[in-house]
Amino acid sequence: MKMRKIETGFIEPDMTPVIDIVFQLLMFFMIAINFENTKADERVRLPKDTLAKPPVVKTEHELVLDFGYQQHPSGDRRKSFPEVFYNERFVDVRDISPDLEQEKRVIERVHGPNVIKDVTVLIRADSKIPTGLVQELIRKCQEAGFSKFSLRVTSEEV
Amino acid sequence: MKLRNRLSGPEKITIPMVPMINVAFLLLIFFILNLKIVSPEGNFNINLPLDAPSASAAEQNLPDIKVGMVSDRDGNLMRLTLGSKNLGNDDLAFERLNKEILQIIGRPGNPLTKDIEVEIDADYETQYKYVVKAISKCTGQLDPGSNQVARYVEKIKFAPPHKPKA
Repeated sequence: MKMRKIETGFIEPDMTPVIDIVFQLLMFFMIAINFENTKADERVRLPKDTLAKPPVVKTEHELVLDFGYQQHPSGDRRKSFPEVFYNERFVDVRDISPDLEQEKRVIERVHGPNVIKDVTVLIRADSKIPTGLVQELIRKCQEAGFSKFSLRVTSEEV
Repeated sequence: MKLRNRLSGPEKITIPMVPMINVAFLLLIFFILNLKIVSPEGNFNINLPLDAPSASAAEQNLPDIKVGMVSDRDGNLMRLTLGSKNLGNDDLAFERLNKEILQIIGRPGNPLTKDIEVEIDADYETQYKYVVKAISKCTGQLDPGSNQVARYVEKIKFAPPHKPKA
């Protein structure tokens, strides 16, 4: 009887298709990732709208103010009134003026004395906040010297 | 002197692929972990003059557009108005507002629209989402076919805030 010879040599698998797929995935994630949006505060539930498109040109100087409700992980509100999420603190809109003044001083020190009129205040307000409080926040910003405002909303696909 | 045997051909050079694959995998893991599926955000610019208000619409012979929003104590919309006209309080009310604005400006992109200003006069309690919706309907209309925005009014401003309901 003729016995079959068993080969004991080293088998090297063809890695080329695996590397191809890894590179394809790498390209996909590199293109899909958006570091700009990851900075946005997810605690604020912005209103949605189909007409709001991401700006084509980024504003040169901007101050982002997140205005929303503190919430439990379950989604219930911790407080009945909204607050401005400012530098890891929760500030009542009536007490925001000193922080805005400080913000103004820092901006002017870094970018020059008259730059404040070119700073756009991006207001990221929760969809359920009373409009009167958003107007109150805008008024406080105006008192601090800011004059350009943008209301930020989530772009909704049709 | 030892001569190289030319008949044997050039030596086969093997590039070590393992470090490159390692780096590629590390990059892949980094991008996977950093990817967040979030909807993009857009802006609505609003015109809020400080001490020097712009010339009024009447002075410039432009129509004065005033959108009013009346709400209950919980901020739910009770009535949407354009001037003295009641447009209702449902989703169709905002569509009516959109059509009324189009009638006022004549056609989208009319040069007049650069100067026309819409004033949003909302109750203190009105939920912010209704205001954004009204601003959107005054700003334009999205054509579902071409996905292009037909611009209506570009200048939006807020009326002085109301006092909260007691």
